[in-house]
Amino acid sequence: AAKELRLSHQFAVGDLRHKVAEMVASDVAAADVDLEIRIFPASSLFKANDQYIPLTRGQLDMTLFPLSYAGGQQQVYNLTLFPGLIESHEHAKRVNESPFMDEIEKVLNEDDVMTLVRGYLAGGFASVDGCVRRPEDVQGKTVRAAGKGFEEMLEAAGASIASMPSSENYNAMQQNILQALNTSSSSFVSFRLYELAECYTPATDRALWFMYQPLLINKTTFEDLTPEQQQALLDASARAEAFYAEEAAKEDAASVEVFREAGVEIAEMSDEDYAAWQALAEESSYRIFAEEVPDGQRWLDLATAVE
Amino acid sequence: MDPLLLGVIVGLATIAVLMSGISVGVGLLTVSALFLLIFDGSRSLQMMPEIFFGDLNSFTILSIPMFIVMGAAIASTRAGADIFEAIERWLTRVPGGLVVSNIGACALFAAMSGSSPATCAAIGKMGIPEMRKRGYPDTVAAGSIAAGGTLGILIPPSVTMIVYGIATETSIGRLFLAGLVPGVMLAGIFMLWSIFATWQAGGLEVFQARSYSLRERLEVLPRVLPFLIVVGLVLYAMYGGIATTSETAAVGAVACLLMAIVIYRMWSPRAIWGVLRDSTRESIMILFIMAAAGVFAYMMSSLFITQSIAAWITELEVNRWVLMLIINIFLLVAGFFLPPVAVILMTAPVLLPILEAANFDPYWFAVILTINLEIGLITPPVGLNLFVINSIAPEISLKTILIGSLPYVLCMVLAIVLLCFFPWIATALPDALMGPMIGG
Amino acid sequence: MSGQTVAVPARHGGDPFVRTVHAISIFCGWLAAGLLVASLLITCQMIFVRAVMGQSTIWQTETVIYMVITGVCLGLSYVQLVRGHVNVDLLPLAMSPRIRFAWAVTIKLVTVVVIALMAWYSFDVLHQAWSRNWRSPSVWAPKIWPVWAAITAGFAMLLLQLLSDLYALLRGIDQPFSLETT
Ligand code: NA
Ligand code: NA
Repeated sequence: AAKELRLSHQFAVGDLRHKVAEMVASDVAAADVDLEIRIFPASSLFKANDQYIPLTRGQLDMTLFPLSYAGGQQQVYNLTLFPGLIESHEHAKRVNESPFMDEIEKVLNEDDVMTLVRGYLAGGFASVDGCVRRPEDVQGKTVRAAGKGFEEMLEAAGASIASMPSSENYNAMQQNILQALNTSSSSFVSFRLYELAECYTPATDRALWFMYQPLLINKTTFEDLTPEQQQALLDASARAEAFYAEEAAKEDAASVEVFREAGVEIAEMSDEDYAAWQALAEESSYRIFAEEVPDGQRWLDLATAVE
Repeated sequence: MDPLLLGVIVGLATIAVLMSGISVGVGLLTVSALFLLIFDGSRSLQMMPEIFFGDLNSFTILSIPMFIVMGAAIASTRAGADIFEAIERWLTRVPGGLVVSNIGACALFAAMSGSSPATCAAIGKMGIPEMRKRGYPDTVAAGSIAAGGTLGILIPPSVTMIVYGIATETSIGRLFLAGLVPGVMLAGIFMLWSIFATWQAGGLEVFQARSYSLRERLEVLPRVLPFLIVVGLVLYAMYGGIATTSETAAVGAVACLLMAIVIYRMWSPRAIWGVLRDSTRESIMILFIMAAAGVFAYMMSSLFITQSIAAWITELEVNRWVLMLIINIFLLVAGFFLPPVAVILMTAPVLLPILEAANFDPYWFAVILTINLEIGLITPPVGLNLFVINSIAPEISLKTILIGSLPYVLCMVLAIVLLCFFPWIATALPDALMGPMIGG
Repeated sequence: MSGQTVAVPARHGGDPFVRTVHAISIFCGWLAAGLLVASLLITCQMIFVRAVMGQSTIWQTETVIYMVITGVCLGLSYVQLVRGHVNVDLLPLAMSPRIRFAWAVTIKLVTVVVIALMAWYSFDVLHQAWSRNWRSPSVWAPKIWPVWAAITAGFAMLLLQLLSDLYALLRGIDQPFSLETT
């Protein structure tokens, strides 16, 4: 029988990230190297937050997930969802090729994990109570962010941080327990938050919010494959990476269209607004990261070095 | 091996293991461990504690112990008897007023408690002796309380609805609302049957009621009112945008504990420990089964059984109502043997894709599912409510309790049929209060 | 009601080993109840801080979740002691006393093996969480090993209670499935 690899992710079947996983699976199957990838979508095997540890231990073969979810295992992963670190999809491409990501790869390798497909997704704010453009706009509001760096910045802006599972987002926002939230353009649409939001601050040609969501494989599992299987997997991944980058950029505009059609006000961040967020991030999340994480300043320098 | 065949083997093994007398939680872990070891190797076996942990690692789950504390605090007081008395004094002129009051008291108590056995015990302690004293047949006295008690998981708050909400990622607030009208309807059906059965057995003289003066009617209210206010506040917090389900449950639990201490003078540490001990025991029992059922669900998904069964049923392309009938029979049989929580967690991953494909409303289905599981609570072999009645009214034989409960099973089947013909009974209230349903 | 068979809490029959284990399990039950109450109070504090004071709540949600997980695991042995874990005792009830005894021993042994597995693999995770310094991924980011220590301890305590049950069963202190005829 063919060798079977199990790929788990948290996203719905219609989501871009499922399409990326499917593309790799079908290309590998087409290569006819006795290798089969079985996908478990929508958290049907592991929950969103519970995938990294089984991956490192070879209990799960592959996953496509936001690397910052594993920030508790490796603190530097928090840098893969950090305010203002990446400005645009073009910039994200350059970061993907940078020494910073090579260093991240080394950390992954130490945990017996390697990357197949790199990819960043952009996102913005949705709110039910006034638009979010500047730090002042979140003051006194309860906000859900999706990562430590963002939570620290929002807290510094005077927001209350609510940590709740993503499945409660819609209801929390509907019940006005949550007044604003931060997530990717794709998730805004798949969570149908346009039905509730009053204002949407999307990622445009520049965004504050970029999240790294790579396709990973257990390194030992990969090394145990035959050279033909490895090659087929790498080839499929390279094609998927190009597709992922191209589609990721389209998702932002598509989400704006969905929100606009639903009658949601679309807000834009000016240069000045963006700078205000960056200044706030510098004195909150950046400072805390440099203090808390061993070698933190070197990591920050590496990450910010990419032009 | 073909996943469908494997599914049949897992199903048979699960039935065999659970029938063996092993505790339900350990039984589920045993079956999971066995099949993971044989078909997935030891690497999956190692993951069992992590999956167990992952299933408990959620803020929503906390609402379960909290609603249990809330119910246990009220159940420890005379509040059950007071509610019963208050309703009885007000409904005394209604024919069959006493049994109607009992079922009404069960429904009201259900609005404060998330579990069925607790509801059963709280009302039955006072209600059953009173009904027997006034000449109601034993079958009606025991059956009406056993059945009325099952309303505990249909009328919000409800532990099983919370579990369903977690397993299916549906809104718990909306699920609660969906259960309210069917719960009241079911209480009404129970009342009608009780009056009919009493009339048939004992004739009209049983309905001779005591009359109460207005003063007597008013004086019982202050003892019941505080609890009703707390329930009102809990509902307001949940739907008024103050707090999430779990948070509301915590406030409700603390408020009920304090009221039990202040109003019912539950000063003694022994009494307070009694409440905490009972709720700790019940919470741990339920959460352990939940986490073990989560491990079981992982095993089913990991061996691709869940996905294969769902795909197979979807491809059958039977009429959607035939499908609903099959699902109901399946749930009914599962409910005969297993506690509601385990049934939901083990079946939800399989059933949900099928229901979605057949275009059934998940909130409506939650109500159907809950009524099926209510039936399981008053049928052998594992009818929790039957045992509760047996322990609070030892002078009624288990056989009489059983015979008395059976007609109420038919009442519940009738309710399921009504819900199938008129789905709006469940969906109208949540639609009206929370807006039309979103998503799939 | 006479002639009816009901399940009753475990008996110790004065045996020092069984008594000691029971005492530890009862202590664990107190701990579990205490954690439950504490989690209630912290949740109320969280709502107050957020809704009334309008401040950010950072540590409460996770603390409460971990306290309840800790409570559930530590309380497992207590619930076993008071026979609070539900089971379907149809088959045992239908058995003759001798077969029922043998069957009860078999079931206990299976339970011991499964819980031992859980305890052992929990310890495995505890070891990793400790040595690799795992934290929760939240902004508060507490260390996660204490929770795993509690899970491991909870399953280990349940194992001890089960072994004591098995011993009591073999010594005739307790009845098979704790079923007694009243
Ligand atoms: Na209830
Ligand atoms: Na039953």
